[in-house]
Amino acid sequence: MPQFARKLAQIAVPVLALAGLYVLAVHKHAQREEIRRAAVTLTPGCTEKLARYALAAGPQYVSPYVLQRTGNRIGLQGYSEEDIRAIQRGCNIIDDTQGQLAKDRYRERWTATRYIRGSHLSCDHCHQGIGDKQDAAGNRLKGSISLAASWTMSDMYDRFTGLILPFEFKQMQCFINSSNGYKPNIADDVIRDVTAYSRFLTAALDLRIGNRYDEQGTDEIAASDTQKQGDDYIRGEALYKQKCQRCHGPQGLGQVAEGKLFAPALAGPNSWNMQSRNYFNYVSTILPGFICRNMPLGQENTLSNQQCRDIAYYISNLPRPAGDRQGPLVALRQQIMMTVMPPLVRIAETATEAEPHPKLVLEADQ
Amino acid sequence: MRALALALRNQAVLWRQLPAINGHLVVALTLALVTLPQAVAFSVTLAGVPPHFGIYAAIWGVFFCALLNPSRVFHGGPNTAMSAAIGVTLLPVAAPFGAEYMGLALTLGLMTGLIQLLFFLIRPLGRMLDLISEPVINGMICGIGLFLIFKSLTTFGGLPVNTEVEWPLWIAWHSLLAVLEIGNLHAVEVGLITLVTCFVAQQFERLRNWAILLGIAAGTAYSEYLNASLGLQNTLIEQIGNLSSIGLIHPSRPLFNQDSMPDVVAIVPGAVTLALLGLFQTTAAMRRMSRKTGGFTDSRKAIFSDAVSNCLLPFLSSLPTCASFNRMWLVHKLGIHSRVTIALSALLLLLLVLFLARWIAIIPMPAMAAVIILLGANMIKWQDIRPHLKSRGEAVVFMASFLSVLFLDLFGAVIVGSVLAIAYSKWEQANPNISLRGNVLKIRGNIYFGSLPVIEATYHVAIARVDNLVIDFSECYYIDPEGIRWLAAAKAGHKVGFLDRRSGQDRRAAMEARAANDERRTGPRRGKRDRRQRSEF
Repeated sequence: MPQFARKLAQIAVPVLALAGLYVLAVHKHAQREEIRRAAVTLTPGCTEKLARYALAAGPQYVSPYVLQRTGNRIGLQGYSEEDIRAIQRGCNIIDDTQGQLAKDRYRERWTATRYIRGSHLSCDHCHQGIGDKQDAAGNRLKGSISLAASWTMSDMYDRFTGLILPFEFKQMQCFINSSNGYKPNIADDVIRDVTAYSRFLTAALDLRIGNRYDEQGTDEIAASDTQKQGDDYIRGEALYKQKCQRCHGPQGLGQVAEGKLFAPALAGPNSWNMQSRNYFNYVSTILPGFICRNMPLGQENTLSNQQCRDIAYYISNLPRPAGDRQGPLVALRQQIMMTVMPPLVRIAETATEAEPHPKLVLEADQ
Repeated sequence: MRALALALRNQAVLWRQLPAINGHLVVALTLALVTLPQAVAFSVTLAGVPPHFGIYAAIWGVFFCALLNPSRVFHGGPNTAMSAAIGVTLLPVAAPFGAEYMGLALTLGLMTGLIQLLFFLIRPLGRMLDLISEPVINGMICGIGLFLIFKSLTTFGGLPVNTEVEWPLWIAWHSLLAVLEIGNLHAVEVGLITLVTCFVAQQFERLRNWAILLGIAAGTAYSEYLNASLGLQNTLIEQIGNLSSIGLIHPSRPLFNQDSMPDVVAIVPGAVTLALLGLFQTTAAMRRMSRKTGGFTDSRKAIFSDAVSNCLLPFLSSLPTCASFNRMWLVHKLGIHSRVTIALSALLLLLLVLFLARWIAIIPMPAMAAVIILLGANMIKWQDIRPHLKSRGEAVVFMASFLSVLFLDLFGAVIVGSVLAIAYSKWEQANPNISLRGNVLKIRGNIYFGSLPVIEATYHVAIARVDNLVIDFSECYYIDPEGIRWLAAAKAGHKVGFLDRRSGQDRRAAMEARAANDERRTGPRRGKRDRRQRSEF
């Protein structure tokens, strides 16, 4: 009899555990369904953007932007209530990935923050203008990493990886490397919502799939686009202190004021990792291009190509997290560097009161 | 007349043996039925290739091994760890189930075979495999078991497989969350039914060998019911799919051209891992099974059979083969030890597949994932782990090799495991048992460069304490040149006596007589040197 009881327990315990997991899964599914059905509270940026593009449910969608700029009234298939909510959530994720503007971070961003390690990075930092940067006149800008133009080029050949990358895979690369995060499953709601938003942007801007538009990617700056002085760490440091340090803080660690992010980290644990394309030593043309077109805020396009490359080179040599595929040893080394270097540098700088080298700054300015 | 009588007698013998032949057939059929779902699951969920790769491995891999391997219980065919290693190696290089991926999988198999052939041709390399100790292999097997469970989670939940390569533990955690939150509940149900059926069947001695088959049958029946009542477009349960390409022989060619060269170079470490994984498992399984059955088969012959099979299999669109411990255990338990039966099972499987392709095609993928999860869980056995936790050295080696599978990739784990195993055995040798009783310093173990510091430490304590020290090395089984030099120096420096009970007076006298004989024959110089060396002892 005790043998029978033991056998029964041996069978029942794992089976009950599996049943418990199933019940948990059903519960989680119901929770998710509820979140997907709930109305979305938009961030101020998204409210303005989506209102401008007149996003509303209906049998037909006509973009006011296209109508205004070309005079053509292009009627596209409309959106259901469910589509609208997905697009709104996608916009929220891009604008405020960390959920700082949300009332309930977990509920409103659902899983977005789960996939990013640091507390600084947001999609909007690189994909500026909520993935659709325009000047005051409403012109889309060259090399502004537009999500819409990126979607039209999805399933196309990616020249960095040599693969044909679906849009969902591109997003996963963003999560893993550019925001030093975890990998969402390709079927995850985060990925689906961002895709829905990006697709909506293509409709709103009348971009056609398969075309390459200027606003896709960054306006890359290769070494051949400069006076060929070589990339210089010292010049970069001087320039960083002069142009970037006020917002991004000493050593690029970012600044947080009153619990809100003021400027994101360019190095350290909250930054992108060593396998991101923003990392100068991996792809040397993208970060300089981004800096020249987008930085410093309010004074865009004021830096020369050489200056952008120098700054990018300096930033990328600050300690930052290792990439996922670089193995535990590199990760350990980077972790030690990120922990040890900032205080050491601070001590050294306060001891010597290091001033930017006047001669070098002058040379770089010319 | 005589010939007729002989033929009649032969026939009579055949007739009398018919029950036995019947038994062979039943065993062969059992083996074929047990191998089939494993073959499909390994190729589709682990290696990322169409099911016919695994099925051909289960046919031709088993057949070649039965022909080439003299062991009577050896059962080759597709293997869990190897299939997983193929997936891990190829995922970063190409998209699974694509033409390039399949070509590269064949190239990987061929390279594996060639590397294994090297292990056969270079004898010391093959002997190195024997230096991998049991804790290392068991640690790796446990690690791979856990790895399999994590890896099949997404398929279990009907989710797309994440195609990134690395899979640290947090990926596993996120996969579990994804299954709970966004998994396809129909797929989860099918997987759970398969898992529970398999598990319950396993608990009963009689059903144990049929557990996987029963589980898959239950899972398939449920998924067919769902598809019939809700429609495939609503359930979205992935199935194995079309198997119509299965034929008698499916010739193929490994991908090897100028375009693919960078990829081929990139997968070379993977091929080394695969070759080692295969050979480890083959030699370890042979060793364990031989000890169980009381027989002995030279592991070199197993290496030869694996290597040759793996060189041939890529041309028959098949995964590489190596020993399967669970199937070998089954062969042993079924009680018929015969290579003919095993070869027969391979051919029976071919017949089965030719006629059952339509039924195999509707097996749902979550059921396959459930089978892999169960096999992974079965690889982690407390009775295999417990003995290694008793000694501290073994526990460290076991844990390190277990963790290195989880935190490094498989190649890293193989390297760590090998280094640890060798370090462990060296460590054992480097700590001889030294005891001081009266004025006798007794050394049990090796006297060599590694153990000398340990011996010296005790020796100097003893020298200070005792006047006429005698070193007893009659229980030393190995002294290297450095040890001899040290002994000579000890003898010259202090007044130390040597005691070696192995060479008593009579033996010494005989040796001296022989030395004198040598001296007479080859001249005085060599003999003198010999005697001088000996007298130092």
